[in-house]
Amino acid sequence: MVDVPERVSPLDAVVEPGVFGANTRSLEVFLSENLCGSLVQVQAWPDTVGAVEKAVQSVTKLGVPKAPATAHSETVSIMQTGPGRWLVDSEVEGLEDKLRGKVSAKNGAVTGLTHARVLIQIKGPKAAWVLASGIAIDFDLTAFPVGTSQISHHHEIGVTIHRTGEENFDLYVFTSFARGFWHWITTASSEVGYAVS
Amino acid sequence: MSGFRLNLREGLGRAVDHDSKINFTFDGKNYSGRVGDTLASALMANGVSIVARSFKYHRPRGIFSAGSEEPNALVTVHSGARTEPNIRATELELYEGLEAKSQNRWPSVNFDVMAVNQLPGKAFSAGFYYKTFMGPSRPGHKATQFWWFCEQLIRRAAGLGKGASQADPDKYGRMNAFCDVLVVGAGAAGISAAERAASAGAKVILCDESAVAGGALLSSSELLDGALAHDWVADRLAELAENENVTVLTRTTVQSMFDDNTYLAIERLADHVKTPGKHQVRQRAWNIRCKSAVIATGAIERPIVFAGNDRPGVMLADSARRYVVEYGVSPGRAVCVFTNNDTGWLAARDMAKYGVIVEAIVDVRKDVPDAIRAAGEESRAEIFLGAAITATSGLQTLSGAQISEFSETTGEVGRKLKKIGCDCIAVSGGWSPAFHLTSQQGEKPVWDAELQAFLPGEATSSWHVAGAMAGKFGLRHAFRSGEEAAVKALAEAGLGEGESDVPRIEGDEIDYAPAPVFEINTGGKAFVDLQHDVTAEDVRLAHREGLVSVEHLKRYTTLGMATDQGKTSNMSGLAIMAEARGKPIPDVGTTRFRPPYTPTALGAIAGDAYGHLASERLTPMHDWHVAEGANMYANGPWLRPESYNRSGESVEQAYIREAATVRKGVGLVDVSTLGKIDVQGPDAAEFLNRIYSNGFAKLPVGKARYGLMLREDGMLFDDGTTWRLDENRYLMTTTTAGAGQVMEHLEYHRDVVWPDLKVALASVSDEWAGVAVAGPKSRNVLKACVNDCDVSNEGLPFMGVRQATIAGIPVWIARLSFSGEMAYEVYCGAGWGQALWDALMKAGKRFQIVPYGLEALSTLRIEKGHVAGPELNGRTTPLDLGLGGMVSSKKNFVGATLLKRDAFHEESRLQLVAIKSIDGQRIRGGSHLVKGNKDQPGQTEGNTTSTCFSPELNCYISLALLEGGNARHGEKMFATNPVRNMHVAVEVVSPHMVDPDGGRMHG
Repeated sequence: MVDVPERVSPLDAVVEPGVFGANTRSLEVFLSENLCGSLVQVQAWPDTVGAVEKAVQSVTKLGVPKAPATAHSETVSIMQTGPGRWLVDSEVEGLEDKLRGKVSAKNGAVTGLTHARVLIQIKGPKAAWVLASGIAIDFDLTAFPVGTSQISHHHEIGVTIHRTGEENFDLYVFTSFARGFWHWITTASSEVGYAVS
Repeated sequence: MSGFRLNLREGLGRAVDHDSKINFTFDGKNYSGRVGDTLASALMANGVSIVARSFKYHRPRGIFSAGSEEPNALVTVHSGARTEPNIRATELELYEGLEAKSQNRWPSVNFDVMAVNQLPGKAFSAGFYYKTFMGPSRPGHKATQFWWFCEQLIRRAAGLGKGASQADPDKYGRMNAFCDVLVVGAGAAGISAAERAASAGAKVILCDESAVAGGALLSSSELLDGALAHDWVADRLAELAENENVTVLTRTTVQSMFDDNTYLAIERLADHVKTPGKHQVRQRAWNIRCKSAVIATGAIERPIVFAGNDRPGVMLADSARRYVVEYGVSPGRAVCVFTNNDTGWLAARDMAKYGVIVEAIVDVRKDVPDAIRAAGEESRAEIFLGAAITATSGLQTLSGAQISEFSETTGEVGRKLKKIGCDCIAVSGGWSPAFHLTSQQGEKPVWDAELQAFLPGEATSSWHVAGAMAGKFGLRHAFRSGEEAAVKALAEAGLGEGESDVPRIEGDEIDYAPAPVFEINTGGKAFVDLQHDVTAEDVRLAHREGLVSVEHLKRYTTLGMATDQGKTSNMSGLAIMAEARGKPIPDVGTTRFRPPYTPTALGAIAGDAYGHLASERLTPMHDWHVAEGANMYANGPWLRPESYNRSGESVEQAYIREAATVRKGVGLVDVSTLGKIDVQGPDAAEFLNRIYSNGFAKLPVGKARYGLMLREDGMLFDDGTTWRLDENRYLMTTTTAGAGQVMEHLEYHRDVVWPDLKVALASVSDEWAGVAVAGPKSRNVLKACVNDCDVSNEGLPFMGVRQATIAGIPVWIARLSFSGEMAYEVYCGAGWGQALWDALMKAGKRFQIVPYGLEALSTLRIEKGHVAGPELNGRTTPLDLGLGGMVSSKKNFVGATLLKRDAFHEESRLQLVAIKSIDGQRIRGGSHLVKGNKDQPGQTEGNTTSTCFSPELNCYISLALLEGGNARHGEKMFATNPVRNMHVAVEVVSPHMVDPDGGRMHG
């Protein structure tokens, strides 16, 4: 039996740990990149939202949030991305099968997106400033509070943004666009200086 | 003009560092200035009078203003790739090592050969080009040959500098900002509005185009709360900047007002240094979305038009005053003030106060208020009331002015009073509110007879005007109107009124209303638009020739065009036209200002979008393709391998080799770019059955089917295979380029047309990596690496879909063929894409497997007669492409009704055929199919769509659309391509050129 090989991120070839850009002595932006353990989209039908919420809750042990709020534990985050639709991110692999086991076609649909997104994390005092330089949404804490998510885009690159702290953001970026997005965010960060870990 | 630096002392030269020294060059000559100087103030301080040549006549021109309205002093800065023309010297902050050059002159600005243009004078009047060069046109051409000859000379002689031809090396940034209240302009009204809004807790953005905010306060002689105005400004701005709810942006010009309270501002971050730092952004474009805005952009002083008014030394009066007060620079050794309003007198007083010799104050009014007369007397100037300057003298620069009697009521010039020696005339013809932003939104300005100026009209969206821009001149009015506008803006933002904090003001109270005098008409050459050399006589000529509308006037004379957009000339031009028409000025109207307010670097607008304009999409195997030497080719946003050229191979040689290998052995190609849509739900089968023209209701689990998707009008929209993964789950594939549109099409029909269907749609294009393995040995390759799945013909029949593992990787395998050979598409999670590719290459090594690119992929499908994008061109139906068998007559589907139109069934329609080159010549894409020879080709009867060299048939072939093509197989024709001078003999054949029975892919 051959082991399942390691997944390869499109950013592996371009992400270089280190310190870059201006003002490297007082860094205000920190970037890192991760692969999701599991990323699953769950869609309920208009008349089965309650049933699907229960199903998701039974698998994740988290209450299903109403947008823009998110629900999260140490290992799982749930973001509502549309009416009766949620994106579930888990550090644990195999979530898609567990959810499919609980959400029948009668109640909804389960779609695996684990390979379809790359998770880029940005944090630091200038994180929101960097994001605002390319993403046309209001990053003020009153408009985009901690523990909420929004779907937007940088030019044609779609991105789901989860604000995990006042200065911390998780960015779910389409895999095929990941290098273009990384190029942008590092270029934008270089004006203030940034570290990659 | 012989400007010079005054003895700097307390209160004089407030904008400059008195003890500093900065070195710069102008036209290669070394000069020095002070920190805080603009290039204009520094040149003036060094006695440089001529800074430019005019656009048409190449007349010498000097500094005219002190701000962004400058029509004359345009210079080119930097060199090489950073060369930037038409920078206003009046805004350009001096920095060490600045290199500036004058424009539109040869060999020098002081001696310009093209000044010969002045000699024919009137011949170059308005409409010169139309009258001189328009004539009968030759077939296919619109202008005369004489025009073509002259055009080059004229283009060389006229112009406003030259840009760089190399790529701009600087970085440009963007920022998306949101606020409650945007305040445009940080003068008295703007600061007042910003403070009031901030006091209510509003999130405020305050923008000012200057390096130091404050507007007119910076040179004001008033006391605010007992402090000098410029000190008061500095304190208040510092307080505002400390407020975390307030963003103060200096060097930031709000260029445009758009719908829905959206504004574009350009912040100049590094234009005041020689070169930006390594990571520094040169300019940043701010997209500001506010709940409401206060527009406090001030007013622009306008000149009076008189003969000889373009001599270097003639400038705006308030600008002359600002050079003295702010920069400590006198605009001349002997200044004459010419005005029709009180502000000219204050300029005279303030200049004289700091040591400038004011020889005369000339006012067209017969009488002035006592306080103003007293101010004039303070200047010790000779005073002329009811008088005007009627002529100027001087060789290249100003040396004297003729003063004559003048009647402000009749406009008549009387006897000459005195000729005064002067090298500067400071002229004030009143003030024009800068309502450019509101005008951009189409708000019609309204005429104020007292101010003799247009004011912004009623706001129709969430903006409010304040200060001089609203006709509220003077500090008291400015502060009050700023607060009033802020209160309105706060209400729109849903906030309280805030607190009032207007300072106590001590100083002049004057009447800003001018006498209604715009021109002193003595018949001499009097310029209205200095930048485009438009004279008062040009305006009258336009009137005589019937071009009386302001829109026609603008285009016929070019009044108000070019970099200054007529900031100092529009009002005078309108007034002269109004007088010529015998109508009041408001009846003549105004033109609408266009964005941007001032010239903007294209880089600031483009931002980081350069090179490949859209972001590139890369497949998981991208790096492998590049490492193997593939030519990467843009296919929509995706980069795909065109071919894998071996040493010495051309693209054609490579794709022929690759395609031939697939036909005889096996090859693999990266198909990760195909659109992939997850379709799930209890109604998914019914949904697909309505979307596709062929049946999908009974597609068994574990099978795939090729489907055709039509638009509502019956035309082909997209195609692809859809795999049934389980009872309620399908994987739809689309063309690479069509994925986005197909997704929209599906979502529209699900959400709008059939909302009762329970179907979930999700793009999974990025979830799956895809590899097609094709060729007679493809099954051998799979057998060598696939686990958990029988890939024999029985175990995995044609169009079968199975789950399996390859090298530990979970995969879906579908037996599909685009090439016409036995072939499989293997999909896995994108993160394992490269591992899957490696495993297949390893398994295929003993079968001499080769990777193949887009060109070979295309060649294989052309040989087979499979259609793709060039055939699905939006104008073809399934019947046209020989796919009528895939149009169900037993069900309804999108496009079914309109596909039944008679016209779609006519035999004369363009129908899919193939053509073969008879004589071995290459067939080019875009060729037309004709019957005649090269000399008399006759009418086109069709066109080629997809062409290639076929290694299987050993000749050039092409798919084509031919009128009535189905019945014309065997016909001899020509594929003609006049652009490439090619006329190729071809034979029309069936599009199914290879394996028409399908034995290879079914075997």
